[in-house]
Amino acid sequence: MPAAKHRQQQPLPSLRALAWRRRAAKLDYWLWPWLLPLIILGLWWLGGRQQWLGSQVLPSPGEVLDSLTELLASGELQRDVLISLERVLEGFLLGSALGLALGAAMGLSERASDYLYPLVRLIAYVPLLGWLPLLMLAFGIGETLKAVLVAQAALLPVALNTYNGIRAVPPHYVEVGRIYGFSRRQALWRIILPAAFPMVWSSIRYGLTKSWLALVVVELLASSEGLGFLMVDSRQLYRLDAMLVAVVSIGVVGFVLDQVLAMIEKRILRWRRAGFAS
Amino acid sequence: MAHAAALEIRHLNKQYIVDNQPMPVLENIDLSINPGEFISVVGSSGCGKSTLLRLIIGLEKEYQGEIRVDGQPIVGTSLERGIVFQEHRLFPWLTVEQNIAVSLLNANQSSKSKHDAVHAHIEMVGLKGFENAWPGQLSGGMSQRVAIARALVSRPEILLLDEPFGALDALTRSHLQRELQTILRQEGITAIMVTHDVEEAVYLGDRIVVMEPRPGRIKRVVDVPLARPRDRGSYAFAAIKADVMADFSEVIAPPEPAPPPTHGLSPSWRFSW
Ligand SMILES: Nc1ncnc2c1ncn2[C@@H]1O[C@H](COP(=O)(O)OP(=O)(O)OP(=O)(O)O)[C@@H](O)[C@H]1O
Ligand SMILES: [Mg+2]
Repeated sequence: MPAAKHRQQQPLPSLRALAWRRRAAKLDYWLWPWLLPLIILGLWWLGGRQQWLGSQVLPSPGEVLDSLTELLASGELQRDVLISLERVLEGFLLGSALGLALGAAMGLSERASDYLYPLVRLIAYVPLLGWLPLLMLAFGIGETLKAVLVAQAALLPVALNTYNGIRAVPPHYVEVGRIYGFSRRQALWRIILPAAFPMVWSSIRYGLTKSWLALVVVELLASSEGLGFLMVDSRQLYRLDAMLVAVVSIGVVGFVLDQVLAMIEKRILRWRRAGFAS
Repeated sequence: MAHAAALEIRHLNKQYIVDNQPMPVLENIDLSINPGEFISVVGSSGCGKSTLLRLIIGLEKEYQGEIRVDGQPIVGTSLERGIVFQEHRLFPWLTVEQNIAVSLLNANQSSKSKHDAVHAHIEMVGLKGFENAWPGQLSGGMSQRVAIARALVSRPEILLLDEPFGALDALTRSHLQRELQTILRQEGITAIMVTHDVEEAVYLGDRIVVMEPRPGRIKRVVDVPLARPRDRGSYAFAAIKADVMADFSEVIAPPEPAPPPTHGLSPSWRFSW
């Protein structure tokens, strides 16, 4: 049977090629995201070794690592991270809750959106720091100022996206609710909210990131604790190694915060992936 | 058990406003439907079939004329009238089982009997094993079957069907046609079904309403005086089919359901009723 023989000969190399290709694809998946950071790290390390810039300007990775262990051992870094986290969560929860309420009001009520939407849009065009001088006058430079600025950073994106998310709910779905005699409340909880949820949630994630960045900025300008403070403080003391530790920590904390929300999203939005995976 | 309701439509006119101009969609529709009767509606795309169903179900407030169910003018939607839309309109965030249970949310039943009803209907439309699937995982035909189960599970007195089997394969289609017929008889449900498939219209309908477009009017009503279950191969069946086809062929109807009308783009949609 020549056909069978032919079949036996052919598949082996092609299967192996396939396996290779799959392995290569996996490698791609793992390698590419790390490539650029690794190159930068390599250059940094090389630059430190070759004294391209001098450790006053750019401390070597080793020095930064030393400084990290030192800051960890003294507990200073943990304290600053915790303080910053506490502040950001406080402000973010306040801001996103208000944003949800405001966005929902504008999304659900014509009158509310007529009154509020233009103003909200206008405010959204003023950069965060534009408010700082005014808010400093109003609230001083204490914790209230930070809470207000951090809250405001989350409030606007959440409000605008909640509004847009609700307006984008397909009327087709709402009609189904009408057919089955849904009350307003049922329609709100069982149709409007789940349908708008993906958009609202992505704005909540974005809001948290914005809150975090806003906090670091206020801490830079007006604080005696927290990661932002650690950054300016180290800079003023010419401890650039410690400053870099702060910079990296800010990045890591921001990333982790977003990942936590991403994980929650994955769980709640199972139905979105269901069509593709598994 | 629900009783079948009579439906009376008198001098029904409907316009949509397009570019500030009234555009007549339905003109002078008169139709009396007896309790338990099955009405097939055929007509070319855009002649207002879906609009007619929207009016009967109670989704459109603006119209002229009368729509009466058992003598009472309709006011908005009601659990007594069910509909299968042209697009399945399942909620993507609910599983198959939950989607079907949506129609029992406000029904006066114990949760046990709701649960049983939902499962009986899942079985009926042949989706056993898919109770916990998401709509995103279903084919178009499967989604449409879920929508049919959702409409039937609340046991309406009048069931409106907008090309419910358009997306199904021939086998499932004829299976569901037979199922549907049995259920409607058993439960005593009055039904109006829009279809592009003339054979289906003849197979299921006691009468066939043939519509013509621009504006949508009833061209004529064809009686189907054949005993059930009907034999698609019989001479009488073929004769009626040919008769209706002759009407139809003047304006060539697309074989597939048209994409859903863009009600979604009405500029002034409000979450309120
Ligand atoms: N919300 C709306 N606003 C404006 N015009 C509309 C609206 N809905 C439907 N129409 C118009 O009314 C006419 C009838 O639409 P309808 O959906 O009832 O047709 P149909 O007979 O169901 O067609 P098909 O067989 O393609 O489903 C069409 O010309 C359509 O463009
Ligand atoms: Mg239609």
